[in-house]
Amino acid sequence: MAEYFGTTVDDIFSTQTERFRPEGAEGVDAVIAYDISGAGGGRWMVAIGGGKSETKKLDSLPAEFTAKMITDAETFVGMTVGRIDGMEAFQAGRVRAEGDMAMLLRLPQMFTKYVPPKKPITARDIIETAVDRFQPQYAQELDVTVGYDFTGKGGGQWTAVIKDGKCTLEEGLRDNLTVSNIVSAEDYVDLMLGKLDPMVAFGSGRLKLVGDMELAMKLPKIFAKFVPSEEAEAVEELIVLKKIISVDMEYSTGPVMGQFFEGLMEKKILANVCPKCGRKQLPPREVCAPCRCRADEFVEVGPGGEITMIDDTYYASPDPLTGETRETPYGSLHVLLDGCKDNETFWHMLKKNDLFDAQPGDRVRPVWADERTGSVNDILYFEKVR
Amino acid sequence: MGKRVAVCAVEQTGFFTNLWQKRFQEMAFDIVEPIIRKTGVTFDMATGIRNIITCSDDVFDARTISDNAMTDAVGAHYRGEEKVTMDGINAIGYGLACVLSGHDDIILIVGHCKESQSESRDMVTNLAFDPFYYRPLGLDFKNVAALQARAYMNKSGVTDEHLAKVVVNSRKNAALNPAANARELLTEEQVLKSPMTCDPIRLLHEYPVSDGAVAMLLVCEERASEFTDKPVWISGFANCMDSYFLGDKDLVGNFSLKKAAERAYRKAGVKNPAEEFDLVEVNDCFAYQTPMWLEGLGLCGEGKGSALIDGGGLKTCNVNKSGGMLAGNPLMIGGLARAAEAVIQLRGEAGDRQVEGAKKALAHGTTGAAGQFHSVLVLDSE
Repeated sequence: MAEYFGTTVDDIFSTQTERFRPEGAEGVDAVIAYDISGAGGGRWMVAIGGGKSETKKLDSLPAEFTAKMITDAETFVGMTVGRIDGMEAFQAGRVRAEGDMAMLLRLPQMFTKYVPPKKPITARDIIETAVDRFQPQYAQELDVTVGYDFTGKGGGQWTAVIKDGKCTLEEGLRDNLTVSNIVSAEDYVDLMLGKLDPMVAFGSGRLKLVGDMELAMKLPKIFAKFVPSEEAEAVEELIVLKKIISVDMEYSTGPVMGQFFEGLMEKKILANVCPKCGRKQLPPREVCAPCRCRADEFVEVGPGGEITMIDDTYYASPDPLTGETRETPYGSLHVLLDGCKDNETFWHMLKKNDLFDAQPGDRVRPVWADERTGSVNDILYFEKVR
Repeated sequence: MGKRVAVCAVEQTGFFTNLWQKRFQEMAFDIVEPIIRKTGVTFDMATGIRNIITCSDDVFDARTISDNAMTDAVGAHYRGEEKVTMDGINAIGYGLACVLSGHDDIILIVGHCKESQSESRDMVTNLAFDPFYYRPLGLDFKNVAALQARAYMNKSGVTDEHLAKVVVNSRKNAALNPAANARELLTEEQVLKSPMTCDPIRLLHEYPVSDGAVAMLLVCEERASEFTDKPVWISGFANCMDSYFLGDKDLVGNFSLKKAAERAYRKAGVKNPAEEFDLVEVNDCFAYQTPMWLEGLGLCGEGKGSALIDGGGLKTCNVNKSGGMLAGNPLMIGGLARAAEAVIQLRGEAGDRQVEGAKKALAHGTTGAAGQFHSVLVLDSE
């Protein structure tokens, strides 16, 4: 099974059911199909419904599904373990979706994140890094062979050939080794991780050195210290500096914005009118931009109106004032409030349940907050008039 | 001599510690309206304003690309608009280039800032520093200015008493300027007893938190008479940048100011700055900067700031007849307000503080910590 970032596609799906979060999937009844190409890929189906989830590997995908993800094994694993950015992969065409895209975006709420299990380091993991750890400056003019005979569980035999300032590694033991290390695979791992003292191991006979002892003593220099890849990654991690900019500010509303907000507190939507061109401004601003004159007169419009445009948004950024992120998907809309014409539209939110139902031309009305403070949130959202 | 550009109109809101009655957009429109009314300038794309240069600050206005919020209020609907993010006096240099290049006949400049919008001006100026090396150390324009103040006072023999004289002089002038923010007269003793905020800077050495806006109309020489019978001519402009990192610069060397002045004077044909100007407006955010910038501008000898104050030079050279930045202009337009005062004086419209027969004026602006960036403008009435 092909591994990507140390994980296989099977690893991920085999833990899918145990990662299910019923509380994140309330009211969901869906079948998600996965068509994953490339080595280690395959076809899977994840069913969600009635507070349960089931995962199956299939030979062919079901004809009926709520949503389908089509990608390759490397991208799928990379996105799951957080090594590939999902949005970037999507934009680059490495991931395609069919059906209900919103359902795929809800998956992080329905399943906890896959965390790859920590795999123990083996003697093979370590000896296979020997060539990388070879330091030629300490091996000038050497023409030697070093044998590694690891016994017991996880054991194996390797020969490091050092000649002309280069090192190669072969499986198996050569004849006539210059020096040979004989040790259990388990002890070798402990020795290399610094958990077992070499002198203790040698003195107690758990590590046997046969052949050129002088060369044996030089080995810790010829091969640099082994650093487990997790630690190595931590060492190589770039230093990233985080900053939050925060200065409390207080803004005047002035008479024009102030009157608009006061209107909202009384459940009234006020527009101001340009004395020259008669255009209404929503929200009201002091100056009519095309006429470059003050617009001081106010008229009440709406509160009902007609949708001119809807915008479905599948991502949300946190509100910088509250830190809260609104639920996705959400809808924004332009409403032509009663009494307005042309571009005199008002921008606000659409009621969540109306998202996939409302159409331009539909009648809507505002739903007001119980406690109104003089802010754009005094209107919770607009809802479709049914 | 090349073509010339005239300042044909200037308006300012007047400056206040908290202009709570208005949004900053309305504050700006308040001065655009009289420019239109008094000059008859239009926004006709063939003969009127087709390009506007604004000056504002993203942090004070709490939005990136802060000029976008100004479109309606500065008349920029369906035409060119660009912003300077340093002191607004640089908008004059920018406007000069637009007109001299032949792209525009008329440029409207509108600079604004409402310092009162922020919880703390010092927290805003902290953001001007490198976020990783300097911000965590708490640097802001005030405490960095204090470093420069100490170094400058040591170099030029300027004392706490000299600084008190600078502030008293500023208030005396501001009292005659209806647009100034801090107009109450002060005694030297009051200044000397005001609390030390950042040694050697005392509370009364700092300019007060201020709100306000300044607008100007620049016009090419051929058309200036359409808009005014009192044009003021831009005869020299230059600016110069010094190091961002404080350790890289000589805090008392005035390097960038000297370079900017040298280039502006050469263009304007000024040979002896100490004698040629009828009035001088310097952008003094803190009292020590008045004599220090005067040294850099060549209005007194190097290290002679204290002698200038002792000899009554602030009065005889007509330094900051407006009261200066010390009497309260917001950041971003301290230099633009200096230019506004110079234009008002050269038009002979400065009322009780008018310098009789003023023909040549110097206006100075600075941006950044401890005078990192300086701009020098020479204006003539003829």
